[in-house]
Amino acid sequence: MAFSSPVPAAERLPVTVLTGYLGAGKTTLLNRILTHEHGLKVAVIVNEFGEVGIDNQLVVDADEEIFEMNNGCICCTVRGDLIRIIGNLMKRRDRFDHLVIETTGLADPAPVIQTFFVDEDLRDELRLDAVVTLVDLLHVQEHWSSEEVQEQLAFADVLVLNKADLVDDAERELVEQRVRAINPMARLLTSHMANVPMDQILGVEAFELERALSLDPGFLAEEHDHEHDAAVSSVALVEERPMDLEKLGRWISDLVGSRGPDLFRMKGIFQLAGKDERYVLQSVHMMIDGDFDRPWHDGERRRTEFVIIGRDLEHDDLRAGFAACVA
Amino acid sequence: MAQAPLVSERLCGDLQQPITALAWSADGEFLAIASAGGELLLLDFRAGCEELLRGEHNSSLDVVGFSDDGQFLMAAGQSGELLLWELGGTGVRPLAMDPMALGGGWIDAAAWQPDGLLLAVASGRQVRLWDGALRQWREDPLALPGSVQSLAWSRDGGQLAASCQGELTLWRPAEAPSGEPPLRNSIASAGLALSFSGPGHHLACGLLDRSLLVWPEHCLGQPWQFSGFPAKVRLLAWSDRSGRLAPLLASAAADSVILWTQINQGAKAWRPEPLLCHQRRVSGLAFAPGSTLLASASVDGTVALWNGRGHLLQVLEGQGAGFNNLGWRGDGRHLAAGDAQGRWWLWPVTTPAAERSNARAGGGFKANP
Repeated sequence: MAFSSPVPAAERLPVTVLTGYLGAGKTTLLNRILTHEHGLKVAVIVNEFGEVGIDNQLVVDADEEIFEMNNGCICCTVRGDLIRIIGNLMKRRDRFDHLVIETTGLADPAPVIQTFFVDEDLRDELRLDAVVTLVDLLHVQEHWSSEEVQEQLAFADVLVLNKADLVDDAERELVEQRVRAINPMARLLTSHMANVPMDQILGVEAFELERALSLDPGFLAEEHDHEHDAAVSSVALVEERPMDLEKLGRWISDLVGSRGPDLFRMKGIFQLAGKDERYVLQSVHMMIDGDFDRPWHDGERRRTEFVIIGRDLEHDDLRAGFAACVA
Repeated sequence: MAQAPLVSERLCGDLQQPITALAWSADGEFLAIASAGGELLLLDFRAGCEELLRGEHNSSLDVVGFSDDGQFLMAAGQSGELLLWELGGTGVRPLAMDPMALGGGWIDAAAWQPDGLLLAVASGRQVRLWDGALRQWREDPLALPGSVQSLAWSRDGGQLAASCQGELTLWRPAEAPSGEPPLRNSIASAGLALSFSGPGHHLACGLLDRSLLVWPEHCLGQPWQFSGFPAKVRLLAWSDRSGRLAPLLASAAADSVILWTQINQGAKAWRPEPLLCHQRRVSGLAFAPGSTLLASASVDGTVALWNGRGHLLQVLEGQGAGFNNLGWRGDGRHLAAGDAQGRWWLWPVTTPAAERSNARAGGGFKANP
């Protein structure tokens, strides 16, 4: 299933999904977003446990309700409450120009993300800007085995390591390393009291194909093989030789077909044999979007970078499958 | 074949915010129009006046309706409150009753009972009933396993259908609590649209998973299931003119309208006829009362009129803004629609003789262009 809309991105309203375990600082960040002078009229959908504590007409309560579209497959679950409430909110779209959705601390972010691609109204009127995940630097280690924590890390485009004032450098670096092992492609920010620059979390355009990947070169250079201390892990694949699109397509669709529910996010920029344009690809579970992007710039390092984030990944198999796609 | 146009003049007026809902009173004397800015406008055609019952607010109104006897007007929306006005007839100022907070979040489904005074309101995972005769809430709301997505009364007012994710419940509230318990049907997805036919008492349910269920006469037995729609099935309409078998049914999913004709009783009982005209999402769908003339409104800025065989008779345009909804006056000769700029439109419509059955009560009124 592709997840692009026929409506140009610029005509659609950007949506930020805010996740994070209980106590990570989501409410503090929401308050900052609502009071910050960023010139945006932001509408916020909070879950029933949220207490934003700001009297704002554009704060709307939602009651998380998961709809299964197809035999309970995780890849087809959506948030029914969001479809209904956003559908109503969009009727007066002139009153706001950015939407932020807070999820409960125990939520799997996938249904929220999928809602914006599966539901045709939301797909054509909104565009997912980024998934922002707050991480409690002080307590995250205690919740490390929680499936929700790992999923929230895995789906993130922006990771805000919050409460930096409460840990020392060594502790922070340890969390950074563990977080990077799960998600090497998210932008990493460090904050105190969720104080982060607004332009780093709103208007990120992380789901636009041309922004497919921003891998930290240093991270790739390490030829990354940390110990995988979580069920959720990532594989960063790099190839200097041109690749074959047909082989890639077959490999990726087989992969998604057999492991879709376990594949959280994939992002990649591909150097294809005989093509002057970059090929960019991203996915959320079984939804894949891929297209030719701009030509490689002169002097740009032409190579393929591909990141797979998922549960119980067979790293060696993935590396072998990827290597077999070299042209 | 050259045909005289069905529509040659129009009325219009403006609210500040996009129009979210509109409803005619049963006698056709009043038209109520609600907006995303919480405005509520009441047009009184006999007295020739209009009154803004509620000015602009920060919370939208999303559903509006008159009780069958014309005694009450109801509106509800984002605030989760039920607003009621008591109407004293044409020329008399409506009297606002105290708003009633239901505490179930945004209200976008509520419906008055035909031939009765019960008002069903979907609030969160409950269907609450307000009894206009006693002016109080009935005890024992109907509880559903998920947020109520849609409500519909049977045409005789005896049966109420409510749907959520996974369940479609049929209830006879007049008999509650001593009568039969609600009949709960499992459905594969979320029921987004419900509609009972007049003749035959069929029930149709449009689902989020791009399918449509249609129960046979008197809702007995297993439903027919139709799938393969391009999008969720969000709007349904039955003609109230009897067909050879079931009356005509129309469905809307994304930009596609389909006209369904029952041709036999078996497994392949229904013949679908796609009605091609709209370029974007269809937002309103209704047969003219007493007729097989179908109107469909779209956010592409057009309203299309179709005959009972699915032929496009005329396309009406507003001023470029997308239409959000439409509603026929009870006489079947006047069609109202609301658009995304807050403008309401009213067209007198000449229904072709072939689409009419017998003349209905209620005279027309003269529109001033």
